[in-house]
This record gives sequence, C-alpha cells and structure tokens, in this order.
Amino acid sequence: MLLQGLLNTIRKIYFSHNIVLWMILLVLPVGVSLFTMGMFSSQIVQHVPIGIVAQDDSMLADKIKSRLRSSPVLNVKMECGSMQECERAVVRGDLQGFLVLPNELERRALRLESPVIPIYSSGQNYLTNMFATKEIRAVLSSVGGEIFVPQIEDPVKTEIHSVGNVEGNYQGFLALGLVTAIFHLAAMIVGVYVVSFPFRDHRVTEMVKYAGGSRLTLWIASVFPMNIILWLASVGCYAYCHRILAPLTLDEFVMTAAAQLFMICACSGAGIVFVGVVGVMRIATGAAGVIGSPAFAFAGQTFPVMSMPFAVRCFAFVLPLTHVLKIQSMMLLGDVSMETSWHSLEILIGMAIFWNLLGAFLMSMRWKRAMRKEVEWMKESA
Amino acid sequence: MILRLLKVAFAEWKLFYTDPAAVLLLVVAGVLYAFYYPTPYINQTVTKVPVAVVDLDNTVMSRQLIQMAAASQQVNVKSVYAEMQEAEAAMAREEIFGFMVIPENMEKNIRGNHPVSVNIFTHGAYVMLHGAIGTAFSTCALTLGATHKVKQIALSKKVPSTSAMAMRDPIPISIQTLFNSSGSYSNYVVPSVLVVILQQSLIIGICVLGGSRAHRRFRRRFRDSAVENETAEIRYFGRSLAYFLHYCSFILFYHCIIYNIFDFPRRGEILPMAVFSLVFLASVINLGMVVSQVFLRRESSMQLFLYLSIPILFLANFSWPSYLMPRWMVSISYILPSTFAVPAWLSIEQMGADIYEVAPRLYQLAVQAIVYLFLGLLLTRARDKAKIDIGDM
Repeated sequence: MLLQGLLNTIRKIYFSHNIVLWMILLVLPVGVSLFTMGMFSSQIVQHVPIGIVAQDDSMLADKIKSRLRSSPVLNVKMECGSMQECERAVVRGDLQGFLVLPNELERRALRLESPVIPIYSSGQNYLTNMFATKEIRAVLSSVGGEIFVPQIEDPVKTEIHSVGNVEGNYQGFLALGLVTAIFHLAAMIVGVYVVSFPFRDHRVTEMVKYAGGSRLTLWIASVFPMNIILWLASVGCYAYCHRILAPLTLDEFVMTAAAQLFMICACSGAGIVFVGVVGVMRIATGAAGVIGSPAFAFAGQTFPVMSMPFAVRCFAFVLPLTHVLKIQSMMLLGDVSMETSWHSLEILIGMAIFWNLLGAFLMSMRWKRAMRKEVEWMKESA
Repeated sequence: MILRLLKVAFAEWKLFYTDPAAVLLLVVAGVLYAFYYPTPYINQTVTKVPVAVVDLDNTVMSRQLIQMAAASQQVNVKSVYAEMQEAEAAMAREEIFGFMVIPENMEKNIRGNHPVSVNIFTHGAYVMLHGAIGTAFSTCALTLGATHKVKQIALSKKVPSTSAMAMRDPIPISIQTLFNSSGSYSNYVVPSVLVVILQQSLIIGICVLGGSRAHRRFRRRFRDSAVENETAEIRYFGRSLAYFLHYCSFILFYHCIIYNIFDFPRRGEILPMAVFSLVFLASVINLGMVVSQVFLRRESSMQLFLYLSIPILFLANFSWPSYLMPRWMVSISYILPSTFAVPAWLSIEQMGADIYEVAPRLYQLAVQAIVYLFLGLLLTRARDKAKIDIGDM
C-alpha cells in the first residue's frame, strides 16, 4: 500500500509529461556542464596576441623578434611604429600586451649599459597576461644569457610542478569546479521546482491523494528521485571531465561521489526551505539563483577563501560547494588527503540533514495549509 | 504617440515595482549583486599564502634561500621540513598550498659550478595560488643563482661586479600593467561580471513580466485597461522604454557609486558610455522581448537563464580567450549581447577608449539590436494571435 502510493506519486511527479522538470533536472545541467568543459578543450593558454615596438634595428632586436615569433605561447600580431599605436591596440582588445625594443638596444647592451626592455600588459586579463609576460621574460633572459657568457650556465634552475594537475591544464583547474558549481545550482533550482509546482498548479490535494494520504510518502517521492538523478548526472559529468587528469582510485572516487551526493541533498533541501518560507515558485527560484549563481566565486577555487574578508569566509563556509570543492581538490593529491577530507564530508552530511529536516517540517505545514485552502476553493466553486 | 508610449512605460514601471518577483530581479538583483560580487575580492590580491620549505641541504646557502622566501610578500613560510613526506602531508591537510624543495648538496654543487634544480610543488586545484607560489619561490631561487653567477663572471672574466651584473643580464626587463597597476583580482573580474548581471537580470525580468505580449494572463484584472489593449508596436516600444530608462540608471549607479566604493578604474568618457548604454540596452531589451515570447510560465526563463549564467560569462572572452574555444562555441556566442558588451565596457570604462576604438563592437551590438527588434515585433504579433490555454503568460 505504502509502496504503491510511493510509486504512484513518483509517476505523477516525474513521468506526467513534465518537460520543464526534465529540462532543469537533466538536460540543462548535463548540457551546460559539457558545454563548459568544451570551452576549455584546448587546455592550455597559447597564441596570446602581443605587439612589438621595434625602435632598434639591430641583429639583437631581430633575434629577440624571431625568438618571440617562434614561441607557441605568443602570437606577435603587430609591429607598431610607436608606443601609442600598440597602446591603442591594447585598448581595442587586439593585443594583450607589447614590448618596446629601445633605441640603440644592441649598442648599449654591448657597452654593458643594461638597456631596460619595458613590457606593457593590459592587466585586464589575468590568465593571458600572466602567460604572456612569463614567456616574454623567459625569451629575453635566454637571449640575454647568450650575449656575453653563453658558456656559463645558470647555477640554479627552477621547476614548478602542479601536484595533481601536472600539465597545468585549465580543464583541471577550472572546469572541474565549474561542473560541480552547475550541479550545486541545479539542485537548488530543482528542489524549488519539485515541491512548488503542486502549489502553483493547485494540485497539493491531488498529490497527497496519490501518496495515499501520507505527507511523508509525498516528501520521499518528491525528494529522492531528483537527488538520485542529479547525483548520477553530476558524478557522470565529473568523471568525464576528470579523464584528462590522473585517474582516481576507487577510494577517491567514492569519497568524491559521496561529497557530491550530500551537496545535492543539502542544496535541494535548501531549495525546499526557500519554498517553505516564501511559498511561491518564482520568488523561491529567484532566491535560489541569488545564492546559487555566484557560489563559485565564493567557494575558493579561483580566489582563495583565506584571502577573503571574515564575513565572506563565513558565507563561504555555509555554501556546500566550498566543502565539495575542498574534497575534490584534496582528491587530486591522492590517498594522503583521505583523512582530512572526512572532516569536510561530515560538514556536508550535517548540512544535508539540517536543510532536509527543516524543509520537511516547513513543507509539511505548507501542504497542510494548501490542502485546506484547496478544499475551501472547491467548496466555493461547487 | 509619445504620450501613449509614456503611458505604457509608466504602467510597466508600476507593474515591476508591485510584482515581488520583478522587484527581486529588476531592482534588488542589480543592486545586491553589485555589492555582493566584489566583496570576496576586497583584499584585491593574494598575499601571505601558507607554504613550506623542505631543506635537504641544511647549509648557510639553503638557510639564506629560506630567509629570502620568508621575506616575500606573496608567501608565508609556515614550516621548514627535513623530509618531503612531511610537506606532502601538510599540503594534504591544506595547512600549506605549496612547498619548495632545496636539494641535497645545493651549496656544494653551486660552489663547484654544477647547476642545481630547485623543485617547487603547488596544489594542482588552485590556479591563483599556483601562480603566486611559483613566482615567489622561483624569484628567490633565481636571485640566489644570479648572485653566484655574477661572482662566477667577475672571477672568470676579471671584471668588476657591476660589469659582471650587466654581463649576466645585459637586457633587463621592466613589467608594467597599463590598466590594472595593482594587479587587483577584483578589477579584472568584477567589471565584466557587472555587465553580465545587467544582461541576465534584464532578460529574466522582461521574461517574468511577459515581454510585450498583450493580455498577460497573470494580470487578469488589467485585461481591459487601455495600456494592455494598445497596438503591438506601442506596447513593444513603451515597455522597452521603461526597461531602458530603468537600466540606464543602473549603469549610472555602477559608474558613479559602485566603481567609487570598490575603487575600480573609471576612465569612461561620456560619449562612448552613452552610445554603449544605448546599443547594449537596446540589444538586451530586444533579446529579452524575443525570448519572452517562448515561455508559457513566468519562472521558466529564470530557470533557463540561471543555468546559462556560467557559460555566458566565459563566452564573453574575459577569462578564457575566445580564440582558444571551439569555433562552433564562438559562433553561438555571437547571439549574446554580452560577447561584445563585456570587451566594449572594459575598453571604455577600464581603459578609457574613445568612440572610434570601440566602434566595431558597438556596431555588432547595434546589428544585434536591430535583428532582435524585428524578431521581437514579429513574435509579439504571432503570440498575440496564438491561442494558448496553458501557462500564466
């Protein structure tokens, strides 16, 4: 009887030609995740457009130019006649930066006068500017090192290793976090939708009837399928995105999947609480959007949480996404992080329980009130 | 006619100030996000990142290197370990986000003119920390190497130290950032995000209010009012006027208040800003009018556009260069006003571009505005005639 009620309600909510529900539950989160991954498919930054202002016409200047041209990171797009020309090109967005090979560069270098080569970057594009200036610096220091003392090697060389993301791949740096952020938002939006559409369509009584008169059955039928579908989609997208990095061990995969499950439960629970508080789908969706959309900016993957003001750090702590991203980043380091990630998982479990209990309580009251209202309307219309 | 347009515009204003969902999107979101987004980045740059050093050499030179790292602004050397495993465990606990390994016999090898390699390990998940730690540690290690190389040159070439320094690095460089001198992360992220916020909130807001459609079902009480029964063109332009004036005030608010509070560069001249506002808002409003005819329910647009916010932001070429994206994605991005508006806004406001410099992007926005205007009018007429019994629009 209970099981029959549960199955009937699930069928009514999820399989009654509800296109919008399947769009927001599966098509959009998966589609947007794959699209986002595709944006970073070239994985590393290359061909950054730069300009050269060549005031010197010496062999040294030619050598620098040809070395810059042969770099895969840079694309020497313009040779400007003056600094202003290059600067205007930066303003137009045609160049990311430029360098000036000053007058008498070679002559002054050979006379040990150390002529300074100024490099100007726009400063408006963190990634490409960083790569371009790093590469120009490397090219110039290698050309400079060959002028007087090519036989003396640099005594100290440095190698920078990005642990867990050996190639410094931006699908690894950004897309993994963005995919999780998309499902973080999706869980809130779907949570709002699934529990609020019976209010919108005045079908609460009908739904409770399908659930055999039990609000608990209605709750389980509403919440469980969406959490499971979103979780499977999220784990699938994450695994697909992760294929470019070192493979996860079973333990690491289980830990990441568990973190995503509790994040989805917590976020859908929070969405349900929004509906419980405001009772209107439109406003609850707006609230979910206001909190969920910018969550990635607060979660610490791009700008570290420790550099944020205290109040923002508190807000970041309340977001489930922060803890999932922490676990995901810990899993990049391998088994050594397993113990520490349990702490974040405990927080996520706590959040999932809290939001769902609060949501269940608020919805139970809302359903009761809505049923009473619907009966009154029916009486009035009769 | 102007009076009729103004009447429609006034009725629309009244509507979006009395509808809670519209207030949330068209008023609260624009103001709230403007404060909400820049706040995490208020410290502007990443400093004092916790790091460690693994000293396998334990000599005067290695301690000198540790001292140099400790003095760096970007990192905070929390511990010095004797074993690499200890540093790895600390990184796993997220007590540190990177470490430098000073190799065994570093001093001996350097003094014996054998090059050494200093390895720097950073946490693979954090792009900014990777950059900050890598730069800080390599600067210290290379400076140490440079000091020794200068001595080596002075001794082998028998030249004074100043000449040796010039011989080691005969063409030194100086790096200047033209439009973000402090290297602030918020200067880089927030202005682009503000444009996307304007676009998203305006499109969703228009959709929630049903665009220029006649007899919006959620306004049953006003079905017989003169404004609701105006011609499609008057409805279209009158409502567009209301959104346009409302969002012009947002651009002014961002330019005069938000940019001041958060200390973003404000180099925008009046003419390019005015033309930008005109073509950008025209393009977004017309796109909103087009999209609004597709939805049957007021909240559906919200659900769709909330999902699309992340890809829309990245398609605007502000973080990941568009020439590195697949061609088909770049083609899709051409339907979005933000693709042209974000670079145009950055050029005008952050870099002080004049009207000629941003003209190509403003033309693209103008073309979008015209195309969407025709589509919007066409769809509004079609929708007015269509008999759809479901939904609340």
